[in-house]
Amino acid sequence: MSKITKSSTAEYFAKNLQQVGFSSPLKAVLTTLKEAVDNSLDACEQAGILPDLLIEVSKVGTGSTKNTDLIRIVVEDNGPGIEGEDLAKVYGEYLASSKFGRGQCSRGQQGIGISAATTWAQMTNARGVNVISKTKKMRKALAAQVDVDIKSNTGVLKNKETLDWDREHGTRVEFVLDGRIQLNGDGGIVTYIEGTILVNPHMTVTYKLMENDFVTVTRVSNEVPRIPEASLPHPHTFKLGEFITHATLFGKTTLSKFLKTGFSRISDQSIQDFVKKGLPKNLLEKPLTALTEEDFKKVFQAVQNTDLMAPSTKSVLTVGEEALSKSITRLGEIDFFAVVTRKPTICDFKPVVVEVALARFKDRNQSPDSPVTLLRFANRVPLQFDKSGCAITWAIESVNWKSYGLGQPKDSLPLGPYIFAVSIVSPFIKFKNASKETIDASEELVGEIRLALIQAGQKLSRHIKKEVKEADLERKLAHIEQFGPILVEGLARIINAPESRKKKAEEGLRKLLGRDSEEAMADLEAAESKLLEQKKREKKKGIDHDDIEEDVIRGEDLVEEALEPQGTKKTTTKKETTKKTTGKKK
Amino acid sequence: MAKLLSIRELKIDIPKEARILADKMLRDLEASKRPVLEAVKTSLDNSLYNAKVGYLTPGDKVVRTELNVSSVQKLARVVFVLEILLNNLDKGAVNTKRELYYMCKGLIKGNSRLKPLDFDDQPESDAIIDFIGDMLEVYREELNCFANDRGGQTYSQQLVVTETMPDGEKAVVDLSTLGTSPFQPKNKPQALKLKAKKKIDFCLIVESEGTANTLVTMGFTKRNNCIVMGAQGVPSNGVRGWSKLIQEELDVPMYFFGDLDAYTMQNIFRTLKAGSAASLIRNADFSAPNVKFLGVLPEDVKKYDLPHYKVKESDPAEARALKKAKDALENDPFFLDKKNKNLADILRWLIKEKIRCEQQSFFSVDPNDPIKTEKLILEKIKRGSYV
Ligand SMILES: Nc1ncnc2c1ncn2[C@@H]1O[C@H](COP(=O)(O)OP(=O)(O)O)[C@@H](O)[C@H]1O
Ligand SMILES: [Mg+2]
Repeated sequence: MSKITKSSTAEYFAKNLQQVGFSSPLKAVLTTLKEAVDNSLDACEQAGILPDLLIEVSKVGTGSTKNTDLIRIVVEDNGPGIEGEDLAKVYGEYLASSKFGRGQCSRGQQGIGISAATTWAQMTNARGVNVISKTKKMRKALAAQVDVDIKSNTGVLKNKETLDWDREHGTRVEFVLDGRIQLNGDGGIVTYIEGTILVNPHMTVTYKLMENDFVTVTRVSNEVPRIPEASLPHPHTFKLGEFITHATLFGKTTLSKFLKTGFSRISDQSIQDFVKKGLPKNLLEKPLTALTEEDFKKVFQAVQNTDLMAPSTKSVLTVGEEALSKSITRLGEIDFFAVVTRKPTICDFKPVVVEVALARFKDRNQSPDSPVTLLRFANRVPLQFDKSGCAITWAIESVNWKSYGLGQPKDSLPLGPYIFAVSIVSPFIKFKNASKETIDASEELVGEIRLALIQAGQKLSRHIKKEVKEADLERKLAHIEQFGPILVEGLARIINAPESRKKKAEEGLRKLLGRDSEEAMADLEAAESKLLEQKKREKKKGIDHDDIEEDVIRGEDLVEEALEPQGTKKTTTKKETTKKTTGKKK
Repeated sequence: MAKLLSIRELKIDIPKEARILADKMLRDLEASKRPVLEAVKTSLDNSLYNAKVGYLTPGDKVVRTELNVSSVQKLARVVFVLEILLNNLDKGAVNTKRELYYMCKGLIKGNSRLKPLDFDDQPESDAIIDFIGDMLEVYREELNCFANDRGGQTYSQQLVVTETMPDGEKAVVDLSTLGTSPFQPKNKPQALKLKAKKKIDFCLIVESEGTANTLVTMGFTKRNNCIVMGAQGVPSNGVRGWSKLIQEELDVPMYFFGDLDAYTMQNIFRTLKAGSAASLIRNADFSAPNVKFLGVLPEDVKKYDLPHYKVKESDPAEARALKKAKDALENDPFFLDKKNKNLADILRWLIKEKIRCEQQSFFSVDPNDPIKTEKLILEKIKRGSYV
C-alpha cells in the first residue's frame, strides 16, 4: 500500500459534514455507500485485481435523529486489503489518502469521504465503522471498530480481533448510521448501483437492497482498467489564489523549481519566456517562502501571458465503446443503443475525455413522455444531485434531439424510455461545489460533451428511423386492408353497381395500394441498410448489437402479403428479436 | 315530407352529381387508376375580391385528394358520410353536424366491418362533411345539414317576417309584438320574406348582443324607425344570411357598431361584409357588402375621449391578432382593394397605436344619461361618421 499522508484536523469536517455529502439523511446513506464502493474499486484497480463486490443496504431500526431510520450499509471487496497499522488512518483520519493531490483519474481524490462516513456513523449511532480486512501476507483477517477522535484527527481502533476469513485478501466495511433509503430516481441507490455497473464493465457485483433478493451482475470485461500516470496540473488552469495555495505545498523550494516540478509543460525555455513577459529574474532562485503576494502576482501574470504547450492527454482513461456497449445491456433489456468514446482532448487546459452511451430500454417502466434517465459520471463516479447546473445536463439540453427522432420540450432533456449516460474523465475535474455533484459548465467542456452527444445521437437516429419506417409500412398495410374494401363497397352501394364491378374495383385498388406500400418498403429498406452499415462498422470495433443478421425484412414477402385477399392476418413486419439475456436477474 | 325550400337556384342535382362521382371513382379503380377528388381550395391565397361583386370569391386553386395508401382512410370516410347525406336528402331528413356525428357512430357500432372508419371526435366528422360540401360545391344546408347558428337577435317596430314552413304553411311574425325579446333567424334565410310596415331608415348591427339589447330596452327602436341586430361575435351563417336578406329585400343603409380592434375588423366586420376565405363557395349568399363600419372609429376615441387599453403584446391572443392584421394588410384581397382603403387604414392605425377601444366605452361619455350611446350613434350616422 502506498504511503498515507496526514494533512489536517477532523474538527472542521465534523462540523461541516453537509459540505461533503451528508446534508440530508438520504444523502448520508448514498454518500457512505459511494465512498466505500469508490474505495473498493480504486483499491482493486491499483492492485490489478478484477473487483468482486458485495453490497448490502438495509433498515435495521429507527434512527436517533428525527425522521430517520437506522441503516446498515455493508460493502465487501476482494481488493488488496489494508494493513493493520493503516486501518485507523484510512477510516478515522481526514485527508489521509494515498492518492492525495496526485492528478490521477482515481475515484477518491482527497481522503475525506470515508472518514466523514465514519464520523457520521459515530455522531448518529455512537459507533464508527466495523472493518474486516486481510492482505495477502496476513494469515488471518483483522477485524476492528474504527472511531474518529475528532479533537486530534486520529483514528482509534476498538475491539480489535483476528479471525478466519475464507478469502485471500479483501476488505469488508459495515456502517450503521442514521439515514433514509431511497431506491429509485435521481438520488436513488438503485440508480447509483446501475451507474456504477455501467461504467465498470470489469466489475462483478452482488447486491441486496432492503427486503429485495440478492442480485448478481457479472462482469463483461476481464480487463482491469489501467490507470494512467498521474499528471501535473497545467499552469493556465490556475487562478491567482489557487496558484499561491499550490505554492504553499512546496515549502522552501525555489520559485524556478516550483514552476518546473509543480506544473506540467514548464521547461527551462518556458522560464526564459516568463522573464521576457515580465517575471523579475531575481525571484527565480528565491525560496517560495520569501516571495510576497506582490511577487506572486507578477509571476502569475507572466505565466498567464506566456504561450505554453497544451497539456498531454495521456493521463485520462476511458471505458471504451466496446465495453460500454456490453455493459449497458446489464441494465435491462435493450431495444437499441449507441455508444461514443471521444478522443482525449483539452478543455480549459485540462485533459478530458467524454464518453456517451444512449440506449432505449424495453422494461424500465418509463412512460414515453417522461424525461430520459440521465446518468452522469465524473471519473467514473455517478453524480446524483443538482443536475440542473451540470455541464452534462447543459450539453444534453443544447442538442436538438428532435432531429434524431426523440421528443424534446424546448431547452429540456429529451423524452422516452432511454438511459442517457455521459461520462467525463479528467484528472482535474472542476466541480461547482464541495459536495462534487455538478461539473462546472465551461463553454469548452460543454462544447466537447455536445460533440459526443451529437455523434451518439446520429447513431441512435438510424435505429429510430428504421423503426419509424417499419411502423409506417405496417400502418400503410393495415390501412389498405381496413379501408380498401369499405371504400369500394360504399361506392358500389351508392350507384347500385353489380358484384362483378365491385370485384374488379377491389382488385384494382389492391394493385394501386400495393404499389404504395412498395414505396414504403423501399424507404424501410434504405433505412435498414443504413443501419446495417453502421452496425457493420461498429462490429469491427467490437460493438455487437446481437441481432445484426436477422434484422432485415425481405421486402418481397411483404408485397405478396399486401396483395393477398383481405382478411388474411399479417404477421411479419414486427419480428421478434432474440436478445441474449444478460447478467441482471429480476 | 315535402322538399325543403332550396337556398339558392341550385345549378346541380346533388344526388345525381354524387352518383356520377361515385361511378367515376369506381371506374378508375376497375382500371387500376387512382381516383382523384377535387375540392375548391378554401383559403386566403385562393380568394379573390372585386369591390363591384362585394364579397370574396374562389380562385381556381383546388385541393386534390388522390387515392393512395395514406388517403384511403379519408376517401373511405367521404364515401361513407356521402351515403348518409344522400339518404337524408332522399328522405327529406335534416340534421346538425353533431347529430350526423352520432349517426355515423351508430352505423359503425352496428357493423364491425366499419370499425376502422370510426371518428374519435366531432371535428373529424365535421371535416369530412365540409370536404363533401366543397367537393360538390354545395352548401352544407343543401346537404340537409344545419348548424345551430348563434347570434342574429333582431329587434324592430316596423319589420314583419313571413316564413314558409317545410310543409308549405306560412308563419307571420310581427317583430313589434315581441317586446324586448328578439326575433332570431335560423339559417334558412331564403324561406323568409321581409316587409316593412313603415319606412325603415337603417339597420344597426351591434357586435355585442348585450349592448344591442340595452339599446332596445332603453327605447332605441321606439324612437327610431330601424332594425337593431346583435351579432354575438364572429357572425354565424345564420347572421350572415339574414343580413344579406335584409340588404336584398329592404335596401336600407346598414351599419356595424363594434369594438375598435384588429380582431373585430378582420374577423367580425370583414366576414359580415365580404364573407370569409373558409366559406368561399357560399359568400355570395352569406355576406352583406353594403354594411358600413360605424365605429368605434379612431376619430371617436379622440373626439369623445374614450377610455381605451394598450394591447398587451405579451398576451398570445392579442399578439396573434396583431400579427394577423399585418398579414391581412399584405395578403387579404379585401383589405388590399382600393375601395376598402379606409378600412385598411384603420387596421394600420391599430397596428401602429397598439390600442383597443371597446364599443361599450361610449357609455363613459355621459354616465348620467342612459341614452347617451343612442344619441352618439345617431349623431355619427347623421354626420356620416362611418367608413
Ligand atoms: N477497500 C479498500 N481496500 C484497500 N485500500 C483502501 C480501501 N479503502 C481505502 N483504502 C486506502 O485508504 C486510502 C484513504 O481512503 P479515503 O479516505 O477514502 O481517501 P481517497 O479515496 O480519497 O484516497 C485510499 O487512498 C486507499 O489507499
Ligand atoms: Mg475514498
